[in-house]
Order: sequence, then structure tokens, then C-alpha cells
Amino acid sequence: MKKVLFGAALVLACSVPVLAHHSPAAFDRSKEVKLVGTVKEFRWQNPHTWIEVLVPDEKGKDVLWGVELTSPTYLIRAGWKSNTIKPGDKVTVMVNPVRSGEPAGIFRSLTLADGRVLTERPARLGTADSK
Amino acid sequence: MRRRIAVCVLIWAMVSASCSPASQTTAPAASTTPAADATVEEGKQLSALAPANLTKPRPKPPFEVTGNWFIDVSQNPEAWRFGPPYPKLTPAAQLHWDAAKKYTAEGKVYRDDIGQCWPAGLPLIMTRYWPMAMVQIPTAIYMISGFMNSVRIVYLDGRKHTDPDIIVRTYNGESIGTWEGDSLVVDTVGFRGDHHWMDQGGVAIPAGEQLHIVERFRMVSNQLEIEYTMTDPQHWEGDWKSTKRFNRVVDEDIQEVSCLPDLNQHLQSTTSKTQVLQ
Repeated sequence: MKKVLFGAALVLACSVPVLAHHSPAAFDRSKEVKLVGTVKEFRWQNPHTWIEVLVPDEKGKDVLWGVELTSPTYLIRAGWKSNTIKPGDKVTVMVNPVRSGEPAGIFRSLTLADGRVLTERPARLGTADSK
Repeated sequence: MRRRIAVCVLIWAMVSASCSPASQTTAPAASTTPAADATVEEGKQLSALAPANLTKPRPKPPFEVTGNWFIDVSQNPEAWRFGPPYPKLTPAAQLHWDAAKKYTAEGKVYRDDIGQCWPAGLPLIMTRYWPMAMVQIPTAIYMISGFMNSVRIVYLDGRKHTDPDIIVRTYNGESIGTWEGDSLVVDTVGFRGDHHWMDQGGVAIPAGEQLHIVERFRMVSNQLEIEYTMTDPQHWEGDWKSTKRFNRVVDEDIQEVSCLPDLNQHLQSTTSKTQVLQ
């Protein structure tokens, strides 16, 4: 059931454009990267929230990945809180990576240690979809 | 003289109705109308917030825009853009259009100034994916975007555009609104012509100092409709037209939002090798 929900969330995320102050063209939306690591920082702020995750590479060396999320306005509607994650938490984050190959990407989903999956809400304020 | 005007205004204000839009009615009889133009004092334009300007009798506006508004993307997630269709570009703009296409094909981002914290400016500021708060008073509409708290003021008090020799150019320009039938027609000039773009995300069309935007606001059912007619002979030929619909947002207010110095340090995409800044 959880996998079904996860899949549904991804379909929803695919159907809406990226909410960002910058161009989304830097991200390769055809690729997904699975980051399994430890939260270094979770910044809950406007216009974007971000997560920094330490992800061990194939040699075991930690690589700092930057994950860009939408604003808290939309995250709150998807069930997020400012303390949803904190430094030291083990997480799995799915991202669309930047095309340059640098360790950065735009958020798709977060799986917490207890198995809960969080996504973003589509940016459609003023419609039934935004509730 | 100043004291006499002040006394007249004070007496008139004491007997006039509240300046709230809901209380506005057709202009009162001449006996209660202040002498001369109440929006001008000793040749100087009164502030939109000056009591003498606020309380000047005016016809009741045909509609109110006070509220939070969000671009309607329910049918088209790309509806925040003002094209396609795009107008025929001049060679000066075509250079940027072609460069954006070239770099996009290479997986790069060309001149994304908004992403580098430059103001979005008009027209894009109206269709960001954050609400636009609008507060209408008799003399103006104050707009504050949920995107970087960008401020836009549309003056409704009958003033003219500022002398081009002294206007301070801005990214949202200087907007003067006039009620025409069931519409509010807003004329905007005085734009900054640097780091100012008409689109984003793979499309690069510059906005120059000659940019002139006319917006026709109307209420259509429960939506705010704005019909755009935009000209900039430096960058395209003829009129660039686009019509946008906005939904009223009743369950969200705008918040404090700034492009803080550490924002892009943590949004690596804006500083990555994908960015073509010049």
C-alpha cells in the first residue's frame, strides 16, 4: 500500500511544474537519483526550504548533496512541519539532479526512518487542488 | 493660503463620509465639493494616502480587487508565461532568444536573473507561483507579491505619469489606473531595462526601458481577468497580447520573503555550472 501511495505521489509531482524562484531548466527531469544519507541541515524558510544530506559515495566518503524544496506554504499543506526532520536523521530523498553532475537536485520525495513518505503539494492556491 | 486650504479640507472632511470604498457614492453636489483639485496642493501631487486625497469625492468603482490572487494554472501549468504566442522579435531580442535555445539544448540555463535574486518585474511578477496581495483604497491599489515581497502601486487618483526626466525607473514600473465602464485600465511605463525579462526557463526576451504595458482588469465570475497589451519597439514588433485569469485565495496570506544572501548558497542549482550568467 505504501508503495502505491508513493507511486501516486510521484505521478502527482510529475503533473505540476517546479515551484522555484529560479529557472527549473537546470534540473534533468528525466532522471531520478536516490539519496540515502544523513541530514546535515534542514532550513525551513521562504521562498525555498532546503535539505543538506550527507550521502556516502562508493568509496564511503560523505558527499554533501543540496536538495531544493518549495516554500513552507506548500509543504505545510502536504503535512510537513519545521521539525519533520533534523540534523542526524537517516533519510532517503528522491531528487531530479542538476544536469551538470554536481551533487544537487530538486526534491521529489522524502522517506523517513519510520517509513513515512512526504512529498510537496502542487502550487494551485485558490482551487480545490490546493486544500 | 495654505492655512485656508487646510481649513477648507478639514471642514469638508468632517462632513464627508468615510473614505472606505464601500461608502463611496456618486460625487456629491457642488456645495460639498472642495475647491480646486483635492489631489493637488500648491502644484504638488498629494500622496495617495493623504487624507485630502483619500476623501475626495469619487464615483464608486465598479469592482473591488482587495484580496489575495493566484494565477489560474488549473488548466495549463504553463499559464504563468505570457507566451506562446510570442511576437516577432527584433534582432536585439532575437540574440537572446537564440542564445537561450542554444544553452537549453546543452542543458544550461541562460541569464536567469530572477534566479540570481534580481526582481521579476512586470509582467512576470503578476504570475509567480506565490499569491499577490492587493489592497484597494480610493486612490490606489497596493500590491505586494508573496514572491520577494515585491511592491507595486497602481494610482487611481487621477495623476499623470511622472516626467520622464525625473522618473526613477523600476522593475514594476509606474502604474496609473483609470476606471472605464466595467474595467480598470492600468497604464505602466518607467521600467528598468537591465536584468529584466519577459519570460523565464528556456525563453529569453528582454524587457527594455521602452516597455509599455496596458492592463485591462475585469471581474469575470469569481476570477480576476487581466488582459495584457505590451509593446517594446526595442525588442518586438507591434502588440504582444495575453490574457490571464487569477483565482481568489481565501486560506492563505502572503509572508515575509526575501532573497537572502545565503539563499542561493544553499540552492546549488543557481550557482552550478549549468548557469550562463552573461
